[in-house]
Amino acid sequence: MSEYIPPWSSPYIIGIAGLSGSGKTTVAQEIIKSINEPWTILLSLDNFYKELTPELSAKAFNNEYDFDHPDAIDLDLIYECVKSIKNGKKTEIPMYSFSNHQRIKDQSITIYGANVIIIEGIFTLFKKELLDLMDCKVFVDTDIDICYSRRLLRDIVHRGRDIKSVIEQWDAFVKPNAILYVLPTRSNADIVIPRGSDNYIALELLIEHLKNQLKIKSTEHINHLKMLGLKINPINWDNVTIIEETNQVKVIKTILLNKETKNDIFSFYFDRIASILINESLNFVKYVSGDSMGKTIETPINVKINPTDAFFQLNEIIAVSIIRSGDCFIKSLRRTIPAAKIGKLLIQTDSRTGEPQLHTEKLPIITKNSQVLLFDAQTISGAASIMAIKILLDHNVDENNIILVNYTTTELAIKRIFHAFPKIKSVTACVGGHGSTDSDNDWWMCHRFIDNIYYGTN
Amino acid sequence: MDKEYDNVIRLRETNQLKCLYTIIRNKNTPREDFVFYSDRIIRLLVEEGLNQLPIESNIIETPLNVTYEGSKFKGKICGVSIIRAGESMEQGLRDCCRSVRLGKILIQRDEETATPKLFYVKLPSDISERYVLLLDPLLATGGSAAMAVNVLLENGVKEDKIIFLNVLASPEGIKVFKDNYPKIRIITGMVDECLNDQKYVVPGVGDFGDRYYSI
Repeated sequence: MSEYIPPWSSPYIIGIAGLSGSGKTTVAQEIIKSINEPWTILLSLDNFYKELTPELSAKAFNNEYDFDHPDAIDLDLIYECVKSIKNGKKTEIPMYSFSNHQRIKDQSITIYGANVIIIEGIFTLFKKELLDLMDCKVFVDTDIDICYSRRLLRDIVHRGRDIKSVIEQWDAFVKPNAILYVLPTRSNADIVIPRGSDNYIALELLIEHLKNQLKIKSTEHINHLKMLGLKINPINWDNVTIIEETNQVKVIKTILLNKETKNDIFSFYFDRIASILINESLNFVKYVSGDSMGKTIETPINVKINPTDAFFQLNEIIAVSIIRSGDCFIKSLRRTIPAAKIGKLLIQTDSRTGEPQLHTEKLPIITKNSQVLLFDAQTISGAASIMAIKILLDHNVDENNIILVNYTTTELAIKRIFHAFPKIKSVTACVGGHGSTDSDNDWWMCHRFIDNIYYGTN
Repeated sequence: MDKEYDNVIRLRETNQLKCLYTIIRNKNTPREDFVFYSDRIIRLLVEEGLNQLPIESNIIETPLNVTYEGSKFKGKICGVSIIRAGESMEQGLRDCCRSVRLGKILIQRDEETATPKLFYVKLPSDISERYVLLLDPLLATGGSAAMAVNVLLENGVKEDKIIFLNVLASPEGIKVFKDNYPKIRIITGMVDECLNDQKYVVPGVGDFGDRYYSI
């Protein structure tokens, strides 16, 4: 019953079409550069050429195959890929070899989620279903003669082809198809850019529009995250473990908070509290007693242990760290579970808007039974944690098997996280911000300091 | 083991802890795993030992220039290990207190009289002012541990400032301490059933020193 809708479930999709040589790629690159949005992906229709049968392949090598006909491109596949990315699924984008006229076997680009998808190719605006997915449809309308001259230059100078075959191909396939199939798709576009990428006024207007649209989307995401914390749902504190305030925990907390503490001392004591937190979080791992497995062990003096007293760990434990503050736990984790697989997520919060943005995910193979320790040293707004948990769920992790481990957390973050994901477990050393709904008050837990001091970048 | 001992502080009996003990008790566990998982238990014992130390208020200033009332340890500590098995616990202590002073005591069984005999003692010179974490992974008959305690007392350590850490304890050993040194706190991971005729703890972990160092 997750109510969190991550930004990548509604990526902003831009389609760019135009004749071969019209400057589609340049327009796409200009857009990517200007919107500067993390998690932007560019899908080129060139990677979606259909695989050829041996007979067609032979034709292709004789320059007799029509690559410029809409049927040459697997538009159904690209539709499926875009839909799959939209659903937050891991998606494989094929790679195509022009020299072999084949998809490259065992090679593909793996994509998981996106904030912005740019689809680029001559038939981008051709298929109705694909058009329905797009938020903004662009046609780059460069004069066909200019396209021709660019194409000649590109194929002869940069691709080393002989002039005769290039002219033949243009006359036989490229031009007729362009007129018959590509130019009519201009009417499907929202924006037509005459003269292509040289038309900087049109480009600027387009980019301005895109930036505004993305801003609206980002505001919606932030408001949505805030809403999660405002719902008056009682928090199920059973799933939140605050480590016991023993004498040494009190002493370590004081050392970590003292501004006189030198960086090396700070790291030492953070490693210690991290060990304590990791030990506590491992209590949520499933241990199975010997009697349920019909199994026990024998001690060196040949005494059998009562099967109800023998406990075994069956599930694999995987660690996932939110870069960089989660990395402060890794040293202690390695001491506790030396060979644990470690996944990394780079989620950065936009300092202007406060919106969390996913930049990179590198996760090991996670099975249904894997238990995941998710590390973040400080959880302040909860936005990055919520995003990280959503990513884990999208990678088939069972919500019950996620253990969020942090040093400090705010009550607001707990509210938000548990509202979206009531079944996860959380282990922490300090919970603060009682009664506060404003995440940017100046209380110390709302001030990010741990990774700065730990890594000496303060 | 239903009997409660008021001089004993046991680690929280979680399934995780039971799992760690299952590994070190298993006679088929290879030495590297025995060492690794023993070290994990030892770390928990050391941390519990440090929790026994008193604290006092400590007012500090945070990086945001706000004063905060925190805590600091009151008094100094040192570790004393009983050679050889006790030395396995030194690293665990060092991992928590980097420059901690360590004393050593060598006690061995005299083959003729079958009683423990003191061979070697080296202690920090100011030990009488310190809390002492006495390190020995197994408390069996309590014979050698009692002898080590006597050495500490002779050197001026106060009985209530001795904290005895062990991985496994026998009811017999605990009773020796309760009768003779009631103020000493014993911190242990598990209390086993009894001692057998060869004075091994049952079910036990075998000879801890041998498994940690040489088998």
